[in-house]
Amino acid sequence: MADDNPDSDSTPRTLLRRVLDTADPRTPRRPRSARAGARRALLETASSRRLSGQTRTIARGRSHGARSIGRSAHIQASGHLEEQTPRTLLKNILLTAPESSILMPESVVKPVPARQVVQPSRQESSCGSLELQLPELEPPTTLAPGLLAPGRRKQRLRLSMFQQGVDQGLSLSQEPQGNADASSLTRSLNLTFATPLQPQSVQRPGLPRRPPARRAVDVGAFLRDLRDTSLAPPNIVLEDTQPFSQPMVGSPHVYHSLPCTPHTGAEDAEQAAGRKTQSSGPGLQKNSPGKPAQFLAGEAEEGDAFALGFLSTSSGVSGEDEVEPLHGGVEEAEKKMEEEGVSMSEMEATGAQGPSRVEEAEGHTEVTEAEGSQGTAEADGPGASSGDEDASGRAASPESASSTPESLQARRHHQFIEPAPAPGAAVLSSEPAEPLLVRHPPRPRTTGPRPRQDPHKAGLSHYVKLFSFYAKMPMERKALEMVEKCLDKYFQHLCDDLEVFAAHAGRKTVKPEDLELLMRRQGLVTDQVSLHVLVERHLPLEYRQLLIPCAYSGNSVFPAQ
Amino acid sequence: MEEEAETEEQQRFSYQQRLKAAVHYTVGCLCEEVALDKEMQFSKQTIAAISELTFRQCENFAKDLEMFARHAKRTTINTEDVKLLARRSNSLLKYITDKSEEIAQINLERKAQKKKKSGDGSKNSKQPAEAGVVESEN
Repeated sequence: MADDNPDSDSTPRTLLRRVLDTADPRTPRRPRSARAGARRALLETASSRRLSGQTRTIARGRSHGARSIGRSAHIQASGHLEEQTPRTLLKNILLTAPESSILMPESVVKPVPARQVVQPSRQESSCGSLELQLPELEPPTTLAPGLLAPGRRKQRLRLSMFQQGVDQGLSLSQEPQGNADASSLTRSLNLTFATPLQPQSVQRPGLPRRPPARRAVDVGAFLRDLRDTSLAPPNIVLEDTQPFSQPMVGSPHVYHSLPCTPHTGAEDAEQAAGRKTQSSGPGLQKNSPGKPAQFLAGEAEEGDAFALGFLSTSSGVSGEDEVEPLHGGVEEAEKKMEEEGVSMSEMEATGAQGPSRVEEAEGHTEVTEAEGSQGTAEADGPGASSGDEDASGRAASPESASSTPESLQARRHHQFIEPAPAPGAAVLSSEPAEPLLVRHPPRPRTTGPRPRQDPHKAGLSHYVKLFSFYAKMPMERKALEMVEKCLDKYFQHLCDDLEVFAAHAGRKTVKPEDLELLMRRQGLVTDQVSLHVLVERHLPLEYRQLLIPCAYSGNSVFPAQ
Repeated sequence: MEEEAETEEQQRFSYQQRLKAAVHYTVGCLCEEVALDKEMQFSKQTIAAISELTFRQCENFAKDLEMFARHAKRTTINTEDVKLLARRSNSLLKYITDKSEEIAQINLERKAQKKKKSGDGSKNSKQPAEAGVVESEN
């Protein structure tokens, strides 16, 4: 309590402390009741914020305040409702009140460790709540000044320490104290870590805070396990695949009709591959993870390559394929993916699902956000035999999405060799969408009509469905068609603008600068809101690393370009 | 300092008002012509609305032009920027393109005349003329 701030500018906290120090001898009443009356007067009238104001006023008129408190103590000596001493209550308030003295961290540090109140208090502020919860912290807190230095060193270990030491009161107590004298940023970090803790939960072991890391390796291992455990006879598979073998053949033709000159040969190969997959019959639900698992487990890398291939061009192609908005359009690969997505869908689901899958696989060149793809993927996700595959598989896909061209080539090479892994990979890639997806309702697995729409416009249907979802009321079909037309024109317009902007700058490639110019014209990017701000706000975290220079240059604020 | 800023702002504001008044007047004249032509009267609110719209659109144009010039890493606004601005409406774009070609041609002819005056002979006059023809075809 004698650790007064050497600075002349005192925080309300320090001033209040002084009041507490000086107020005692002046109350003519019994110390306890006087304090009770005085503190109660304070407590009754103030929330924590108001208290700070009061403490200021009290601090300024310290002597007067004390006297007035003494006088009020006379009046309110009727009895203290609280059994705790008001002094300790006030200390609680000091502890739990938000630390406003960002400018003078040192002033806060010293009083904070000194405060060791065992009583439960509000869980608002970090340090206070932590300290109050743990009675055994008292001895360590007295060592606080000595621990400040190690606390600083431990700042970087904060995360790991926190996770390890959740059930260890000591480490927790050290952290807030050690970090309290650091910048307010760390304090705010303390806040975020500490506030979720409830007083009762301290005794429990720490909950895992890190989301389970999803790695490609897990996929392989998991599939190996699946393969080892389940291997269904092929006969059943054949029976199941028969009902939708025909639409399977039909759908690739639809996509062949699309202009895709350089890769028609590849598409034919894919078609053959697709049929092969059907005949080989990995169509059973149980078998679908198993058989692709065989291939995949054997060649996890190639499976990843397939996943890459799917991911790179998936942009809304099929439900199973994950959308990677990074590289929305390699048309050839996209067509392939559609076909493979179709074949995959056959394999993955029952017959009823197959045509619906194909319909969903009408995804198109439009770059859609990952959420959109996840929306479609999620529909197929439940169809998959296990949700665990989803998580592990999808994990593989985001990580591998970057190497598009390599994956495409790998795909073409491996087409004949492993038709099955492709669907398996696609299955895997779609699966992780399930846990990530929250918004989109699962699509009904009805035998929808054959895709009679122009496949170029097919991707817009996804946006239209989003539109109708957010409209929250039933919409006429004509209205939806109009929406689709408008969207089509809008996107064409945008792309024309982008092309013109690039040509205006004497380039042939559309670059982010062109997009920034476009968004500036749209009014989305202003002098106050920059493109990076929008990226951080709306795009998933992966794109932040790709789009924001300071992020992909390893966190150097001014990256050398 | 604050007073200076205030007076400056007041000046700017009055300047803006004068500009708006000028635009309003011009719009009024144009509307009168159209009214005479189509035998249809314009109410004052219409003219006011049109003039306000024109003024704001001019602001937008100016900002866009500056953005385009900066996008092309220039500090001067060019006819290219203006053409980019007018790309939306086809007829306007065509009109502007024709006009710009006319102006380019006139400039070339002037250059040709200057060169002629400097006494380089008839050769130069032919060459810029051909170049002008070629450009106009473009």
